[in-house]
Amino acid sequence: MEPIIATQELKKVYRIGKVEVPALQGVDLLVYEGEFVAVVGPSGCGKSTLLHVLGGLTQPSSGKVLVDGNDYSAMSDADRTRFRRHKIGFVFQRYNLLPTLTAKQNITLAQHIQGNGFNPHRFEAAVEMLGIQEKLNHKPYALSGGEQQRVAIARAVICEPKILLADEPTGNLDSENSQIVLNMMRALNRSFRQTILMITHNPEAAAVADRIIRMRDGQVVSD
Amino acid sequence: MVNRMVFSNILHRPVRTAVSVLAVAIEVGMVMLVVGLTTGMLHESAKRVEGVGADILVQPPGASFFFGLTSAPMPAKIGDRLAEIPRVVAVAPALFQFHSTGGLNMIYGIDMESFNRVTGGFVYHAGGQFEAPYDVLVDDWYAKANKIKVGQTLNFLNHDFRVAGIVEHGKGARLFIPLKTTEELSGANDKASIFFVKCSDPAYADQVIASIHKLLPRYQVISVREYMSLMTSNNLPALQAFITVMIAVAVCIGFLVIFLSMYTTITERTREIGILKSLGASKVYIIEAILREASLLCLVGILAGFAGTVIAKKIILASFPTLSVELTLQWALWAALLAIGGSLVGAFYPALRAAQLDPVDALAYE
Repeated sequence: MEPIIATQELKKVYRIGKVEVPALQGVDLLVYEGEFVAVVGPSGCGKSTLLHVLGGLTQPSSGKVLVDGNDYSAMSDADRTRFRRHKIGFVFQRYNLLPTLTAKQNITLAQHIQGNGFNPHRFEAAVEMLGIQEKLNHKPYALSGGEQQRVAIARAVICEPKILLADEPTGNLDSENSQIVLNMMRALNRSFRQTILMITHNPEAAAVADRIIRMRDGQVVSD
Repeated sequence: MVNRMVFSNILHRPVRTAVSVLAVAIEVGMVMLVVGLTTGMLHESAKRVEGVGADILVQPPGASFFFGLTSAPMPAKIGDRLAEIPRVVAVAPALFQFHSTGGLNMIYGIDMESFNRVTGGFVYHAGGQFEAPYDVLVDDWYAKANKIKVGQTLNFLNHDFRVAGIVEHGKGARLFIPLKTTEELSGANDKASIFFVKCSDPAYADQVIASIHKLLPRYQVISVREYMSLMTSNNLPALQAFITVMIAVAVCIGFLVIFLSMYTTITERTREIGILKSLGASKVYIIEAILREASLLCLVGILAGFAGTVIAKKIILASFPTLSVELTLQWALWAALLAIGGSLVGAFYPALRAAQLDPVDALAYE
């Protein structure tokens, strides 16, 4: 079976002024469709950078990244944006909902950006699974952290992405809400074979995944 | 969806919205009022000359069609020679004087009998004709603006004048005094600044003008029809320059405020732009969203500007009844187009900057 994510000697160097900061130092990684992978490691080990590169938010400095058969190094910024629109869903630690829109508008915004218009069946399925039916007309400031994260997950999966990339999705949540969010991600993975790559500090969160990858100093140290 | 997002953003930041709308409204109002006032005053002044009822205006050599820029007056006896030209039924001389109390006002020194023959006579709202050398007739607008009543004494040209009558506006000047008095006061005996010539039929105007040219080759002779067509700001270079400068200032105000407003907006919303990018929004999508927001602000500003201009016109006319403000649909459209253009140009750089933000930096923005 072909991996849905494959990286080879992936490197990413940030330049801060005249100083070069290596964030990824040769990451080799294979993730297969339907896997739930947790990436763990200390702060600054390159987890978030790996997520940003895999999501096409930033370009690698060198090495190869193949996502769903697409080579990022051969793609322009516009191509990566288009690819992200159709194939990648993001969930962030800080939820990142648009504060001026309601929960429903935040979710349907992703469908609008994708350009396929509002799909009521997919919308209802996502909303029901995440248990946010009663909160759809609320703005983010009127939602709890757990509710905001569930809306963010609904927004991430509404367009049926091939890969869901989650950056510390439980980092701002209490243990009860963390468990709810993790259960939902687990359910997404099991019910819809949703490929998930989740970054976390939390060993309990990582334990939900099928596979745990450990990173240190920009490299994968165990898989 | 973009419209909903734009609308929500606008409502979410009411002060920024109010300031932007106000700036565009001022821009629109300024363009419409500056043009409205200048063209209004110009046309009103021209209409008053037309209202005299003459078909031809005869002025001294080198005179401007814009009264007041006239050179030295002409001998009054020219009027007798003009009256002898076939098809001419009446000739009325007028000697211009200015007084600057309460604004610049032109005074016509007139010979009542000949002036009445050309104009058909004044319509009196109160009082009547001159009874003494230092009598003055004022038009109803001037009387209203200065709260003047018949019998009241007005001091101008260093003399006291008694208001003999208040007449219907639209017969050349707002103030009329006897021609002889004007001649004495200006030391220009038997002189006239202009002759109003009335033909037996306006259709003979060109024929009569040709005759006058033969009689007085160097004099400025113009039909009232042509005079009306010349009384536009385009024929007054200084006025045209003034209007252009004022419009440029207004457009700059709108451009700068929208630019600052949208620039501040994208700085405030850097993280939100990062979110849109993480969802796969293209550069065009982000530029479009910001330009739509600027356009909506501009549209509300234009409507507010139109409403404000109409209100301002009413206030101006109530405060200064002698002024005239001519608001036209053409200039309303121009003002709207200038506002939209200025706003879109002002919003374009911030929109471009937003579209070019690095998504990772934008998402990390605090």
